[in-house]
Amino acid sequence: MPKKGTKSKKKEVDDVPNQQENKLPDYLELQRTRVVCNDDAPIYVHTFICHSSLMAFHLLIMITFITLALHMFPCEIVCLVCLIYCLAYKLNFTYMHRYFYIKRLIDYITEYNSRLPTLGTFAAMGVDNSVSVEKFCKNFKIEINRLTEDDMEFDMIGIDASIANAFRRILIAEVPTMAIEKVFMVDNTSVIADEVLSHRLGLIPPLDADPRLFDYISVKSSELEWLPEGSQLSMSAPAHSGDKQKTFTSFSQSQKEILEKPLGVKFKDITIARLGPGQAIEFEAHAVKGVGKVHAKWSPVATAWYRMLPEVVILEEIKGAQAEELVKKCPVNVFDIEDLGNGGKRAVVAKPRACTLCRECIRPEESEESTEGASEAQESSAPWKQIELRRVRDHFIFTIESTGSLRPEVLFTEAVKILEEKCERVISELS
Amino acid sequence: MNAPDRYERFVVPEGTKKVSYERDTKIVNAASFTVEREDHTVGNILRMQLHRDPNVLFAGYKLPHPLQYKIIVRIHTTSQSSPTQAYTQAINDLDKELEYLKQAFEDEKNRYEERMKQGF
Repeated sequence: MPKKGTKSKKKEVDDVPNQQENKLPDYLELQRTRVVCNDDAPIYVHTFICHSSLMAFHLLIMITFITLALHMFPCEIVCLVCLIYCLAYKLNFTYMHRYFYIKRLIDYITEYNSRLPTLGTFAAMGVDNSVSVEKFCKNFKIEINRLTEDDMEFDMIGIDASIANAFRRILIAEVPTMAIEKVFMVDNTSVIADEVLSHRLGLIPPLDADPRLFDYISVKSSELEWLPEGSQLSMSAPAHSGDKQKTFTSFSQSQKEILEKPLGVKFKDITIARLGPGQAIEFEAHAVKGVGKVHAKWSPVATAWYRMLPEVVILEEIKGAQAEELVKKCPVNVFDIEDLGNGGKRAVVAKPRACTLCRECIRPEESEESTEGASEAQESSAPWKQIELRRVRDHFIFTIESTGSLRPEVLFTEAVKILEEKCERVISELS
Repeated sequence: MNAPDRYERFVVPEGTKKVSYERDTKIVNAASFTVEREDHTVGNILRMQLHRDPNVLFAGYKLPHPLQYKIIVRIHTTSQSSPTQAYTQAINDLDKELEYLKQAFEDEKNRYEERMKQGF
């Protein structure tokens, strides 16, 4: 038994310094850069767990002790303490082996400590996982896929999920827009109550005004404005049912000179209220700049979302009838048939980007087929292990759908500016 | 009825500092930063950037309660750096990265418009 123990010790201590190439073993590289999807969705992300035997456990304790103690005590004293530890736990080494192996361990750890500032996770394997600003700038890429006046789809490669999520949150809640806030009712004889009508007016998609030209009103709304031209109500515009609402107030300087085009609503076919014969609505509404955090009416996007790029990998070849079946299964036509020379067919991945990860292609067959016979069941469950669905961890496909107040690319630029401002505000004034 | 006003989520009231700092008495090189009126948007990004720093041993953030609008960021570092240093370094790095991201987006937008014009 002692010989076995020492041999495994030797391998462990010997192996570690050798694995200093800059590449992880394949399965670890896969875990680091891809999220694997199985057919029992949702799937959690595996964390890196290692199993250890008793011997390795003691080794772990010794390594920890040595790492900490080397800062304070010289090498030989640390060696001595390790020997005493081995004796205490009756670890089966011979005396010579103990000394040599521990010395080797200490040498290795001092070397490791000197390299410590450059390594992160996976440090023991010699792979540099730290990300500096230069590395980020080198690996980062943006590609715009589609850009129209109302929506935009673009790819961001090389960023982390937290930044992507921060952009999504800011686009939905913190980019300011203009929406109707105060409504002064003059006349309302319709069946819709005043407050309901006002609520609906507020929810009209943010107006066609560039919010960057406006300032916020004071949050504590007890300010009274001086109206140099008398009562405003006499200037209110008559409201037509269902048609566009033109709203304006009078200031000491007309707003026409500040804005290039008249304030209006982008979508002219929104029904605000239906009127019967003899009914009328007359009101004046004030639009105010705000953010989505206070009320959802100020959200500038219909929605904004992101997804990770899907990756479909065929592990073993799928031929013939199975290939046809596979192509039919996929609802978004990710797979396609490739004709081989002698009449055979093979399934290939044609459009992995369109994959919605519905997992139809890897789902095992339903029970109605498996009751027909064991062979059938085996046939039907076999192909679905030949495909692996994955998502690339740092490639995000962003989609922004704007409601019209700002163009989507302008919205994204504003979101980046807002995130920068937030970061600046968070810097402590202490140091 | 007891819900706070919605503007409380981002307006720092008079008298409170935006960021405050408490050293941990029991562990060396450990501190908690309390950032008022922020949420997961900044917290998660800060935590991610701190994890990338090899001098940081522990970095995490939490919202103590969803109706109290503040985050607590806890940082432990090695003896080679201090929590405040790690924190300011992380934010400066983030600033640079976002600046670069904005520039890259502008460039890509211009390139896309060029491509569209030439496509016709």
